[in-house]
Amino acid sequence: MTRAWIGLAAICAAACRPPQLGDPLRGLSKAERAQFDSGLVVFATTFTPAVGLGPLFNASGCGECHEDPVVGANGDEVERHAAVFHPERAGAMCDELADKGGPVFQDSVTPALHTALGIDHEPLPPMVTTVAARSTPDVFGFGLLDAVPDSEILKYADPDDRNGDGISGRPNRFFDGRLGRFGRKALVPTLREFNDGAFQVEIGITNPSVPVEGTVTGDSLPAGTDPAPDPELGERGLELTDAFVRLLAPPAPLKQTGEARRGSDIFARVGCTSCHVPALRTGDNPIRALSHKEVAAYTDLLLHDMGPDLADICLGLATPSEFRTEPLMGLRHATQFLHDGRAKTPEQAVDLHGGEGARARDLFKALPAADRAALLAFLKTL
Amino acid sequence: MRRITLLSLVSLVAPVVLVAQQTAAPHDSVRGAIRAVDTRARTLEVTTGVGFALRVVRLQVPATVPITDRKSAQGAPINLAELKPGDVIRVSFGSRPTGLVAYAIERVGRMDAGVEPTP
Repeated sequence: MTRAWIGLAAICAAACRPPQLGDPLRGLSKAERAQFDSGLVVFATTFTPAVGLGPLFNASGCGECHEDPVVGANGDEVERHAAVFHPERAGAMCDELADKGGPVFQDSVTPALHTALGIDHEPLPPMVTTVAARSTPDVFGFGLLDAVPDSEILKYADPDDRNGDGISGRPNRFFDGRLGRFGRKALVPTLREFNDGAFQVEIGITNPSVPVEGTVTGDSLPAGTDPAPDPELGERGLELTDAFVRLLAPPAPLKQTGEARRGSDIFARVGCTSCHVPALRTGDNPIRALSHKEVAAYTDLLLHDMGPDLADICLGLATPSEFRTEPLMGLRHATQFLHDGRAKTPEQAVDLHGGEGARARDLFKALPAADRAALLAFLKTL
Repeated sequence: MRRITLLSLVSLVAPVVLVAQQTAAPHDSVRGAIRAVDTRARTLEVTTGVGFALRVVRLQVPATVPITDRKSAQGAPINLAELKPGDVIRVSFGSRPTGLVAYAIERVGRMDAGVEPTP
């Protein structure tokens, strides 16, 4: 009898513990769990030139960057994005260098490409006006963000600041007009597209969604530098990778102390929640674990002007100084902050907010030390 | 981090690569934002892509190609000169020795105004 009770308690303890970093969402079917496990294998794979790596690449696999402290987490890699901003061109102010393969310029090449061209990274085209640094975010809970209906995001948009609160979130759009939400400037509409594109852009792995290898700053690859037949990853590999990322659970917030609870109130009082909206709600979804769930992401997935000091590249409708509100879920696991990792602490990141974030920043800085500490204690529970 | 061996990758990926190679089809339509219009040369550049993997599709637009605007009554015809950078269009096209040639163009909206997804 005692053994039975111990067994029951052990089962309950396992089921009741909050998800750990890298765990799947709760409530998956057996088939979904199997997809998650197989997707982890693809995500954690190290590719070589023989199976398609490169010839241009930033990493040899998803898990090379999204790795610390577990697969799917953030990483210390920072990559180069570039674009050309033409403020005088109404309707098409941003040149995302699509004719050069897009805004991501790879920092590594395979030995074959190095031998052929004598380069060790993709050169930037001369017309580039700005180069941006992009840090590696974690991807926990991104399936929930993908499952948020457009209408839920758009209800927070106030592009002309009609309510006069100094916050004017506006949507970014992909080139086909769909609402964007992924990427630091919210260009990409869906998680699947982000993942499929990343295989080619980040690893040089062609696939059914992106069947053609990237160029070298717009020029075709020299013959013989890409020996693996295209596509280098099949549809099943894409599906499994997508399942792994989609089904990763968001980091569970820590239990709040009294100080952190007070900090949560202050976070709202100084105006942080105007952009870092505490929770969004998902809509209908074929995956039950993603359907009609609240996701405490602390973002509105909209663009906000962050001021000239943080400005870098344009992207889609996003001007150089506009960035998507960074989700704060899992913030306590981050080791660098803001889109380029320039802030080493959450407090530094707050200090660097400008533009629409300036008022909340100033109110934070004017708080008594105990209130600032409480707000930071709250952030450390996320 | 623990690396997964190359062998496990090959066993997982190789079969699907073979299947994918057999089913890949050439693109024959595109939906994206106009990047440039040259009315004299009758050419269009359309930005499209998947995630951050972007590309530009350059198209010749013969004078006979129907160009319509979804928002006008019964999709009334419009001129090439009425298409502007930032317009979202859907183009069907084919490959010719001289390059890609548009068959039909429909303006579906503006990138900055948003366009509802269509099946």
